[in-house]
Amino acid sequence: MRIDRWLGPCLLILAVVWLWLVYTQIPGARQPGEPGPRAFPALLGIVLTALGAFMTASAYLPRRNRILDEIPRASLREVLIAAGTFGLLMLYAYLLEKVGFLLATPIVVVLAMAGILRLRNWLLIAALAGGLTATCWMFFVWLLKAPLPRGLWLM
Amino acid sequence: MSGCSRPRCRAGCGSCEAGDTLEALTHALAAALSLDAIAATAAGTVIGLIFGSIPGLTFSMALALMLPFTFGMQVTPAIGLLLGVYVGGMTGGSVSAILLGIPGTPSAAATVFDGFPMAQQGDASVALGAAVIASTFGGLFSLVVMMLLLEQVAAVAIRFGPAEIFALVLFGLSTICGMAERSMLRGLVAGTLGLMLMIIGLDELDGVARLTFGTVQMQQGVNLLVAMIGLFAVPQIISTFLDHGRVAPFKMPTDVRARLPSMRQLKERLWLMVRCSGIGTVIGAIPGTGGPIAAFIAYDHARRFDRDPGKYGKGELSGVVAPESANNAVTGGTMIPLLSLGIPGDPATAVILGGLLVHGLFPGPMLFRTHLEVIYALYVSIVLAYVVILVVQLWGIRIFVRVLAVPPHVLAVCIIVLCGLGSYAIRNSIFDVYLMAVMGLFGYLLQRVRIPVAPVVLGLVLGETLEKQYRTALIMTEGDYAVFYTSGVALFFFVLTALTIGLQFRSSLRRQSTESGRPEADRAPR
Repeated sequence: MRIDRWLGPCLLILAVVWLWLVYTQIPGARQPGEPGPRAFPALLGIVLTALGAFMTASAYLPRRNRILDEIPRASLREVLIAAGTFGLLMLYAYLLEKVGFLLATPIVVVLAMAGILRLRNWLLIAALAGGLTATCWMFFVWLLKAPLPRGLWLM
Repeated sequence: MSGCSRPRCRAGCGSCEAGDTLEALTHALAAALSLDAIAATAAGTVIGLIFGSIPGLTFSMALALMLPFTFGMQVTPAIGLLLGVYVGGMTGGSVSAILLGIPGTPSAAATVFDGFPMAQQGDASVALGAAVIASTFGGLFSLVVMMLLLEQVAAVAIRFGPAEIFALVLFGLSTICGMAERSMLRGLVAGTLGLMLMIIGLDELDGVARLTFGTVQMQQGVNLLVAMIGLFAVPQIISTFLDHGRVAPFKMPTDVRARLPSMRQLKERLWLMVRCSGIGTVIGAIPGTGGPIAAFIAYDHARRFDRDPGKYGKGELSGVVAPESANNAVTGGTMIPLLSLGIPGDPATAVILGGLLVHGLFPGPMLFRTHLEVIYALYVSIVLAYVVILVVQLWGIRIFVRVLAVPPHVLAVCIIVLCGLGSYAIRNSIFDVYLMAVMGLFGYLLQRVRIPVAPVVLGLVLGETLEKQYRTALIMTEGDYAVFYTSGVALFFFVLTALTIGLQFRSSLRRQSTESGRPEADRAPR
């Protein structure tokens, strides 16, 4: 199936939601004739609507760039790795806030190497977890005096 | 240099009054080449390089951190330190852009497109070498222009009001068409999405929260660097994780090449460097623009005027040389309105302006009459900073490329940590780490449906200026749209924009008809 046949409608839905949000949440201009804070976002919503409609319509036209249609279906492994990486980054953000950099970093390194990459070389994992944490700490905190999160739970 | 009792020499040589040009130059040289001034400039350059090369640490941040250290210094070492940080930071962004695919600074975003593919093909050192040489060329070119044409360029730059800057930025945005890869429609969608992301947060002109859903963190908006870290790095991490175990087992390279671009390669691109440096100098001289805009326009210029534009984005050396010469030429360009009119073009030059004011130097036409020796000392400091950059970076290439000896999956894990810390360090905000993750997923999904990421970044880079200048122009004229078509400069850029889009649309149609006519076997998915 041509990807534009569902990508176009998705963009249309996004544009409609965007326009609804823009008109319900952003106030208009204070002075008549001048563009207020709503003008530019509304214009973008209209542009995206046009682009989405054009993409949907052109998906049903016979003569078009077929190379873009040939998108391979994502395998389960790809979905799991993409979701795992995203989850890991979100977890890193959460742990940085709660337990601080010194604990969050080795946990994330271990999870990435043992969980996502399925490595079982524990010496390498431990060395990378400890080494990376120590190096970053020394570089950011000692050398550049840039504060790193210390963790709410440990304060 | 001995005894002069006249107090007007502010360069710090302590020996004279700068009476005429030659005398001022002599004393500027004496002050700028003193041991403390050289040490301060070199230290500033190295600090700028470090801050610029680490995603999340900006050179504006480094400048702000360094400013208090200049309070107790003589004028010339103080200026040298600040200019060193500025110049070093602008150059340093290319290191992580080429090696990791994450731009260290927004100005290095365009360098990623060809620099990172070059690194993946084993030509990281060539890309890094070309980047530093192009940066030095661009920086020194703009310095010469600044010295020779300061008054003329300032006169042109000052004619750029909101309408003209809007037209210029719109022209910059038209480069989306060139970055759209195979589908102009997808490029336009990506650019629009980038502009939409830029909308989120507090509106600068009216102070209205836009699409923040009542949260304080969202009022900060989508930080450009955070978005770039997510958009560029996360899809790369996912791709590396996917390749792990699927492709041939990784062999640690015994010799990571550390070769520089050949003289022939550089000679072939000399005219390109001159053109892009010119672009960078002029754009830098226009307040409110800056390095990212110059780099994107220069990249598009290089691609458009190349005999084979199809090679861009796949590891073309000109794709590194063009943005790097342009973004460094901005450093000289921004000094033009700063010194001649006292107008800082970007946050970094605003801090430098602060440094000048602290030392009792008030930029403007009078500065050239009363403190000519300081101006000359500033020129010498910039040259010195570029000498330091050339030495440090060219020497450092053999160390930098060692990064590539690390197995890709291990490097990807290190990049996860660097992404988290870099995103946090920009504003000391955990929210930015979450935002980076979301932007990363967004970037990955865009890649999956073949929507290019580069126009999203361009939309984010240019969007704020585009909207601000458009609205300012209309507010100043009480909603009179004539402001856009009565200005010759604005009209010139509108015509240029229309031409760019028209030509690109025509070539896009031609390419599509060629591809749809090709046999099935030739149409392998990218």
